[in-house]
Amino acid sequence: MPIQPLYILSALLLSIGLVIVIVKRNAIMVLMGIELMLNAANINLIAFNQKTPQTLDGQVFSLFVMIIAVCEAAIGLAIILQVYRHYKTSVPDEVTELKG
Amino acid sequence: MSQALLLNLLFFLLGLPLVSAMLAQFISEKYRWLNPLIAVFLLLLTTITGISICVAQWNEAPVLLEHTWFSLGNYTITAGFYINNVTLVMVSVVSFISLMVHLFSSGYMAGDRFEKSYYTMLGFFTFCMLGLVLANNILLLFIFWELVGFSSYTLIGHWREKAIAAKAAGKAFVINRIADLGFIAAILILYTQTNSFSLTEVTQLTNEFWRNAAAISLLIAVMGKSAQVPFFNWLPSAMEGPTPVSALIHAATMVVAGIFLLIRMFPLFSPEALDIVVIVGSITALLGALAALHQYDIKKILAYSTISQLGLMLAAVGSGAYGVALLHLFTHAFFKAGLFLSAGAIIHVLHQAQHTAHVHFDVQDIRNLGGLKKMMPITLVCFAICSAALSGFPMLSGFQSKDAILVSLFNWSGNSWRLIFTWTVVVSFVLTIVYSVRMLWYIFFATAKKTSLLRVSEAPGILRIPIILLSLCSLWFVVSVHPLEYNGWLLNSIQPAKHYLFITWLSMILIPTLSVIAWWWYKSKELSRVYPVLKNGFYLDRVYDKAGKNTVLTLAYTAKKSDQGIDGFIHVLAYAQVTFAHLLAWFDKWIIDGGVNGIAWMARQTGALARSFSGGKIQTYIFWTTFTLIIFLFWILF
Repeated sequence: MPIQPLYILSALLLSIGLVIVIVKRNAIMVLMGIELMLNAANINLIAFNQKTPQTLDGQVFSLFVMIIAVCEAAIGLAIILQVYRHYKTSVPDEVTELKG
Repeated sequence: MSQALLLNLLFFLLGLPLVSAMLAQFISEKYRWLNPLIAVFLLLLTTITGISICVAQWNEAPVLLEHTWFSLGNYTITAGFYINNVTLVMVSVVSFISLMVHLFSSGYMAGDRFEKSYYTMLGFFTFCMLGLVLANNILLLFIFWELVGFSSYTLIGHWREKAIAAKAAGKAFVINRIADLGFIAAILILYTQTNSFSLTEVTQLTNEFWRNAAAISLLIAVMGKSAQVPFFNWLPSAMEGPTPVSALIHAATMVVAGIFLLIRMFPLFSPEALDIVVIVGSITALLGALAALHQYDIKKILAYSTISQLGLMLAAVGSGAYGVALLHLFTHAFFKAGLFLSAGAIIHVLHQAQHTAHVHFDVQDIRNLGGLKKMMPITLVCFAICSAALSGFPMLSGFQSKDAILVSLFNWSGNSWRLIFTWTVVVSFVLTIVYSVRMLWYIFFATAKKTSLLRVSEAPGILRIPIILLSLCSLWFVVSVHPLEYNGWLLNSIQPAKHYLFITWLSMILIPTLSVIAWWWYKSKELSRVYPVLKNGFYLDRVYDKAGKNTVLTLAYTAKKSDQGIDGFIHVLAYAQVTFAHLLAWFDKWIIDGGVNGIAWMARQTGALARSFSGGKIQTYIFWTTFTLIIFLFWILF
C-alpha cells in the first residue's frame, strides 16, 4: 500500500483542522477542528509505522492520542458548557471580561 | 514779604483761575447759573491776590523763586518765578482785565450753548497768561506762550457752528505757529550758547552774533503774537470770537505778551536789533491805523486799532524806552478793553432789540448804526472816554503814554534817517484821532439808520459796571497825579523817561484841534467810500493764500508723490515678506510638521501593529503561533 497519499491526506486534514480552528467562531466548531488535527496526527503515526511493520509503536501511540482526544473533548465540552451557562454564549470572542 | 508767603500767594494766584476753569467743567447742566457766579468770585479773589502782591512787592528788590524742574545727566533745569516791577504790573493788569471780562461775560454770554467751555477756556487762559508773565524759565514761558495761543484758538472758534469762526481760529493758530518757529530758534540758540533756560541767565549772553540772532528770532515770534507786519492778518479775523474774548485776549493781554517778552529779553537786543524793532513797530502802527480808518465793522476797527497800538508799543521798546512801552501797554489795556466791552454792550443790546422787533441786520456794521446817543448815554460816555484816551486826549491816560512814546522816539531818532520812522508814528497818531472820531460819530451821533427800527435801551447793569470801571481806569490818575506828567508811579519805578515839554504842549493843543476838525469833517458829509485795499487789510490774506497756499500745495503734492513712491516700495517689501512667509508656512506645514507627524504616525502604526497581536482573541493567537511556527520550520528546514 503506497504511503504517499496518506501523508497528503494527513496534511490536508491538519490544514483543514487548523483553518477551522482559526476561522470558526463557535467554540464547539473549534473543538471539532482540534479533533480533526489530532486525527491527522493519528494518520501520520499509523502511516509512519508502516516503515517498521514489526513494531506497533505507531498504532499504540494513536490509541493514546484517541484516549487523550476523548478526554480533551470531554473537558473542552464541559468548559464550553460552563462558559455558555455563565456568559450565555459559546463564542469565545464575546467572552471579553478581561479586555480593558 | 517773606519768600514762603510770596510763593504761597503766587500759587494761590495761579491756582484760582485754574480752579475756576475746572469747576466750570464739572458743574452740571442743572446748576449752570452757578458758572458765572463762581468764575467771577474766583477771579475777584485772583485780582485781590494779584494786586496785593503788586502793592506789597512794589519797588522791592527783584525776587527769584527757583526750584529744580528736572535734570538730564549733569544738566539741571530749574523753573521758577521771577518777580520784578514789570511782572507785577502785568499780573495786576491781567487779573484785573480778566475779572472785568468775566463780569461782563456773565451778562453777555448768559444762555450761550457752550457757556461751560467758555468759562473753562477763559479761566484757563487767565492761568496761562499769569504763568507766562511770572515764569523765569524760557521753556516754561514758551509752554505758556503756546497755551495762551491755544486758548485764543479755542475762544475765537467758540461758536464752532459758524464756519467763518472756525476758519478764523485756524488762521490765528497757523500764523502764530509759523511765527513761533522764531521762538523755538531763539530757545535753541540761547540754550546752546548759555547752557541755561533761565531768563535771568540767558539775557547775559555776550557773543555779539548769537545775541543778535536770538534777538531777531524772538522778534519774529513777537511779530506773530503781537500781530505785527506781516503777520497781523489773524487779529482782524479773530474778531469772530465773542466780544469779551476779543477784549481780554485780542486787545488787553495775550497780544501784548509779545511786548512783555521784548521787555523781559531787553538786554539781548543790541542797538541795531532795536532799530529793526522800531521799523517793524512804526510800519505796523501806520498800516494798522490806515486800515482801521477804512473798516465798517466796529470790532474790525478796534482790531486794526489794536494792531496799530501794538506797533506803537514795539516802537517804544525799540527806541530803548521799554518802560514807556510798558506804560502804554498798561493804559492801552484799560481803554481798549473798555472800548471792546462797550462795543460788546452795544452789540448785545442791539441783538436783544432785534430779537423783539424781528428785524435783522448786521449790528456790527457802522453803516447800520447811528443815533445811539440818546438811547445809551452811559455807554456813550464810557465809549467816548475810552476812544478819547485812544486818540490821546489830555487828562486821559492815553495822552500820557503816547506823549512818552513820542518823546522817547524823538530822543531815539535825533537828526538821523530814523526820523522817517518817528514821523510815521506821528502820522499814525493823527490817523488814530481820525478813526476814533469816525467810530464815535457813526455809532452814536450820526442820524439813526437801521437802528431807528429798534427800541433800544441802556445796557443792563452787569454789562455797565465793567465798562464804567474800565473807563475810570482810563483817566489820568492811573499814570500819575499830574495829568500831563507821565513819570508817575509806574515809570519812576521802572525806567523814568526824559521830558520834552515842547512836544507835550504841542500835542496838548494839536490833538483836540485835530479831533474837532475830524468831527466837523465827518459831520459835514456822508460815510465816505473806503479803499478796498485798506478795508481788506492790504489783501494780506489773499497774498498768503496765493503765495502760501501754492507753495504748501506744491509741497503737499511733492510729498504725496514721494509718499506714493515710498508706499510702493513698502508695498513691494510687504508683498515679498508675505510671499516669503507663505513659503515658510508651507515648509513648516509639510516638511517640519509633516516630519514630526510622520514619526508620530509611524510610532502609532507600530503601536497599532504590536497591539493587534494581543487583541484578546484566542484564534488570532493561534493563527500567529502557527504562522510563526511555519516560518520557523521554513528557516530550519531550508
